[in-house]
Amino acid sequence: MIEVAKLSKSFFVHRKDPGFWGSVRSLVSREKVEKAAVNAVEFNVGEGEIVGLVGANGAGKTTLVKMLAGIVHPTSGDATVLGFRPWERDNRFRRQIALIMGQKAQLWWDLPAEDCFLLLREIYQIPESQFRASLDYLSGVLDVRDQLNIQIRRLSLGERMKMELMASLLHTPRVVFLDEPTIGLDLTAQRAIRDFILDYRVEHRPAMILTSHYMEDIERLCERILIMREGEIVYDGALRDVVERYARTKIVTAHLRKTGENVCADEQLAELGDVLECNEHLVRIKVPRTGVADAAATVLGRFPVADLSIEDEDVGSIVERIMQSKERMP
Amino acid sequence: MSPRLFLHVFTIQSRKLMSYRADFWVSSVFAFLTELAIMYFLWRAIFAESGMDRIGGFSFEALILYYVAAILLGKLIRGNDRDVTVSTDIYEGSLTRYLLYPSSYFKFKYAEHVGTMIPSAIQLVIFGVLYLSLSGAPADVHVTPATVGMTVISVAVSNLLHFALLYPIQLVAFWADNVWSLNVMFRFACMMLGGLLLPLSMFPEWARPVLNVLPFRYLFDVPAMTLLGRHSVAEWMTGVAASLLWIAALGIATRLIWNRGTKSYTGVGI
Repeated sequence: MIEVAKLSKSFFVHRKDPGFWGSVRSLVSREKVEKAAVNAVEFNVGEGEIVGLVGANGAGKTTLVKMLAGIVHPTSGDATVLGFRPWERDNRFRRQIALIMGQKAQLWWDLPAEDCFLLLREIYQIPESQFRASLDYLSGVLDVRDQLNIQIRRLSLGERMKMELMASLLHTPRVVFLDEPTIGLDLTAQRAIRDFILDYRVEHRPAMILTSHYMEDIERLCERILIMREGEIVYDGALRDVVERYARTKIVTAHLRKTGENVCADEQLAELGDVLECNEHLVRIKVPRTGVADAAATVLGRFPVADLSIEDEDVGSIVERIMQSKERMP
Repeated sequence: MSPRLFLHVFTIQSRKLMSYRADFWVSSVFAFLTELAIMYFLWRAIFAESGMDRIGGFSFEALILYYVAAILLGKLIRGNDRDVTVSTDIYEGSLTRYLLYPSSYFKFKYAEHVGTMIPSAIQLVIFGVLYLSLSGAPADVHVTPATVGMTVISVAVSNLLHFALLYPIQLVAFWADNVWSLNVMFRFACMMLGGLLLPLSMFPEWARPVLNVLPFRYLFDVPAMTLLGRHSVAEWMTGVAASLLWIAALGIATRLIWNRGTKSYTGVGI
């Protein structure tokens, strides 16, 4: 449903020296600097797939999403979404997509939510019966039926985000771009939005691209991720493969029986790996993957272990390491 | 854009404006009376000082009625031009949502603009009827059902012409962060060259050919003079035709600017 081939985007930005004289100088001449936001990216997204797009600030995620939604023209390369070039903004294309931006309110602030939805019904020419069914389904699942007649600007951030989601999905788009949909929300609201996105995916099978700085969003919603670094995609693959391919360590956690023995004083403990936590009840050590069997055996042999677990490195840390690393991922 | 959507946007905008009660009455009573009072006292002094009965073909009473018509029709034609937020949409990135909609942004904004005419239309009826019933029409003014009918058409065309002139200026925001100064210059040009400050018949002879080739006179002067029965049907038809030509030319220019501008649009931030 989404096919991207060597898509690039560069921007020209004006650089201005700070201070008063910098401002005066800029009246006469300004330095123009080219910034490559997205550089020859390639990937595909299929029906019913939720792909997580992760990267540090300024990595080019939002620019990429804006190009695929038809907001920004690319500098070079090509992309098709549902068979259309997004930046040509064909109405048949626009009727089938949605872009939800957590950082940018898209509804009309002075209007109650239901008035906004009625206006969107006209914009997307949604048949009355389909509109009523969608409104009923979405307001029920998102639990906002009581807030439909309140002005958007008087709603809480979480309620507003739910309304934004509703507004974007009323026309049941086949491709959905979610740009940080849970940003700034409390944990309950984040969970509600995630559950809703999963429900929506089961119900309608759209292709979705999700950008988020919250790893929990990515882990909960995406089976596949794209990692962007300085405008390039440095990893495209299954989320679980990130752990298998790039995790360098595992966490060995041993819960101890009460014996009064001071296990933390044992010199061999530090030789096994990084000791993350150690007290009379528990020992947690980060050990290299290659040495995990030896480490587990040593812990079991030397300490009074009541329970032992071996966990993979936190996926967020691995992704963060890939994002910050300078090398290209295989 | 479907007529239903146009009507929907239009009614939302007019409802929104009329919900600000204080602003509605202050802008109708205070602004109108202030503008009229300035013109009244200024021209009374000029007529008294010069000792003339007529200036630029107007008696004092006819001139004041011209201002009543030009100010009220002007409000109707300009709508609430401060509410044309194209440049703000571009600057703040709100244009993004409109680019996503399967609908023309130009038509959407025009529907909003037309929606701002409703409060002005209410003001026109209240003050126009009130003024005419209090002062009566002067002998050299002939308001008839025919002139009213022609004026209605003129106002509709002039409203579109005003929007067609304002819109490309606002699109400059694709390249310049702030177009406020351009907006101010545009407002001033409209008032000066369109007949809101002075009937165009009072301009010197040499200026008239220039005024005739510019689009501004079709904004306020032509509708006001038509209403007062000072334009023949032929002059009125020429005015409407010239306005439509200007609208078509500006429409082509706008499309070119829009196509180039949206290519450089970033939606705020990268």
